[in-house]
Amino acid sequence: MNRSGIYLLLGGLLLAFAAEAQTDSVERRPGIYFPQAPKPGQWRRSMGVTFTVAPPELTEELRISIPAADFNIQRGLGRHLYLVGRVQSQLVQSSGTIGIRYALPLSKRFFVSVGDDMNGWYGFLKIKNVFDSYAVGLQNYPNVSIGFRPASDLQYTLKAEAILDLYYRSAAGGLDVEQRGSSRNGYAFTFVLEQPYYHKRHVSVGIRAAYTRFNWQFWALYSTFDKRLFYPELLFNFIH
Amino acid sequence: MRSLLLILAGLLLLAIGCRPVYEAPIPYDFSNKPGSGQFSPAIRRSMEGVYAVSGGGGPFGRQVALKWSYINDGADSVHALTILTGVDAGFFNLEINQTADSLSLTGFWRKLVNQGTGQAALSLLRKRRGQVVPYKGPALAGDTLMLRGTFDTGTSSPRQPLTLTYLRPLNPKPFEVIAHRGGGRTADLLGVSENTLAILQRAARFGATGVEIDVRYTKDSVPVLYHDNRLNQRLIQKNGLSGGISDYTYEQVQTSFRLLYGEQIPTLEQALRTIVDNTDLRFVWIDSKFTGSMVRVQTLQQRFAERARLRGRRLQIVIGLPGTEAVEAYRALPNKANTPILCELEPALARELGAAVWAPRWTLGPQTDEVKAMQAEGRRVFVWTLDDLLFLEKFSNQANLNGILSNYAPAVAYYHYTAQ
Repeated sequence: MNRSGIYLLLGGLLLAFAAEAQTDSVERRPGIYFPQAPKPGQWRRSMGVTFTVAPPELTEELRISIPAADFNIQRGLGRHLYLVGRVQSQLVQSSGTIGIRYALPLSKRFFVSVGDDMNGWYGFLKIKNVFDSYAVGLQNYPNVSIGFRPASDLQYTLKAEAILDLYYRSAAGGLDVEQRGSSRNGYAFTFVLEQPYYHKRHVSVGIRAAYTRFNWQFWALYSTFDKRLFYPELLFNFIH
Repeated sequence: MRSLLLILAGLLLLAIGCRPVYEAPIPYDFSNKPGSGQFSPAIRRSMEGVYAVSGGGGPFGRQVALKWSYINDGADSVHALTILTGVDAGFFNLEINQTADSLSLTGFWRKLVNQGTGQAALSLLRKRRGQVVPYKGPALAGDTLMLRGTFDTGTSSPRQPLTLTYLRPLNPKPFEVIAHRGGGRTADLLGVSENTLAILQRAARFGATGVEIDVRYTKDSVPVLYHDNRLNQRLIQKNGLSGGISDYTYEQVQTSFRLLYGEQIPTLEQALRTIVDNTDLRFVWIDSKFTGSMVRVQTLQQRFAERARLRGRRLQIVIGLPGTEAVEAYRALPNKANTPILCELEPALARELGAAVWAPRWTLGPQTDEVKAMQAEGRRVFVWTLDDLLFLEKFSNQANLNGILSNYAPAVAYYHYTAQ
């Protein structure tokens, strides 16, 4: 893991330990992004859709927004510790993420978590006279989240994550290329609002602003820019 | 829920407003003085080759390729030395310092994948029996050519040492390094807009031996160079007008639109005249972005191919057929003689149309058997538009192609000329 990821994790850990003294008597509410662990042994699930907009540097005059099915799952491991999992899929390209979070209440209104997610993605395209390509990759997302719970039923979460590339492989016809080793790809900020929706159901609505050199959802564009481009991603999930 | 939507809309606007803006101002103005000073044709020829990099040249890799190009201004030629670095699609453009006593060059370096740029100054030396002395005349047996000088980043005066030492000649295998959109994309911050006369004059300095240009018709059927379907701020300075090129007459295009770096949108005729009269390029790929008859484009293609022939130029101008509409426009031509074409579609169609060049997408892979078959039939095979540097190296080394179309001509040229 490189320097930015380490700083992010250390910063989050400091916040988390500072909060250890706080009581654990605060109410638990449904939420996927909100930094609060489910009860030990309890599951949380959400499903929804995301829309990621391609940077104009890549698509030029075209404006492309890629929808993806989005599934999240979490399981409480301890009072503060929980596992997270996520699958995003557009059929021809999909990604799976597994990670761990350590979350603590700072007060009855403020919460914090620190975590690390490992993401693997895969895409393939076989279109006559256009594509005979596939690509796979592995990324790591160390992350810190701050949650705010006002007097109402709302829950606000701001999440910061570093995006580190660990592995990339792609093939066109019989030729393949590979890159190994950790490199700083970029960073992302996610702002999510979670609130009751209907019949005790809850919903997550938010935006993720990623500034990265590479985004797996656009692997087939084979971006060659060695500069961080902006990828806004709208998130909408129903929490079960 | 309304407050939620307002918050999200505000965040989205904030995020879009925070979209990073990248710039890479070139820190050196070429004087473009004609003549070659002390760099005689023999000296220029002897300098071309693959060189080892030493000194502080880490950002430029372990070896580079040196290649001269020129622009003809009608009476004389302006010579420039290109150093192809092979790192991040990097290159140096150096001009002859005609006021210096020694054989020296000044200019800039640039990396196309990012904003890396800076100034550079190099002098030509030779090493004989371990001694390094200024180079004055043709090399003798046992001499090793060297270029020694300095470079730096940004606008700083060059201070970091750089030494290049001759290793071997350039790979002599015939190959076309084709620069996309006349030389490169506007997005690559080259200091000039894509599909302009200015970038056509710089294409050879990027290492290109040929160019691809995008042609559309104005409302009054004048073929002009423009890539996009719509007039937009990616390419055009903001002027409040919208629509496509075909919604405006040529006169309106000239009076109402300026490209991002202030240039006018050129006609195909101006572009071909520039290529034939001012450059040493040897291949032109006219990409048919237009709808309707191909006759006007064919007329210009034939006229400038003949002009090049009369000037003793080895130049092939082909009309590219990217889709079925262009194929139908080609089929509708009353006379197809002396009209070489490039077919981007399936091999069977390329054969049926008698295409001089078959140009599949690189994302289909090397297609080794089909490439061999095409070449055996006398056709050349290019792939497009290959910018991924990892794949560029693989295609250059392993696919037996006749050329590659890329936004990163310096990288294609580097992999070709340094191949052994």
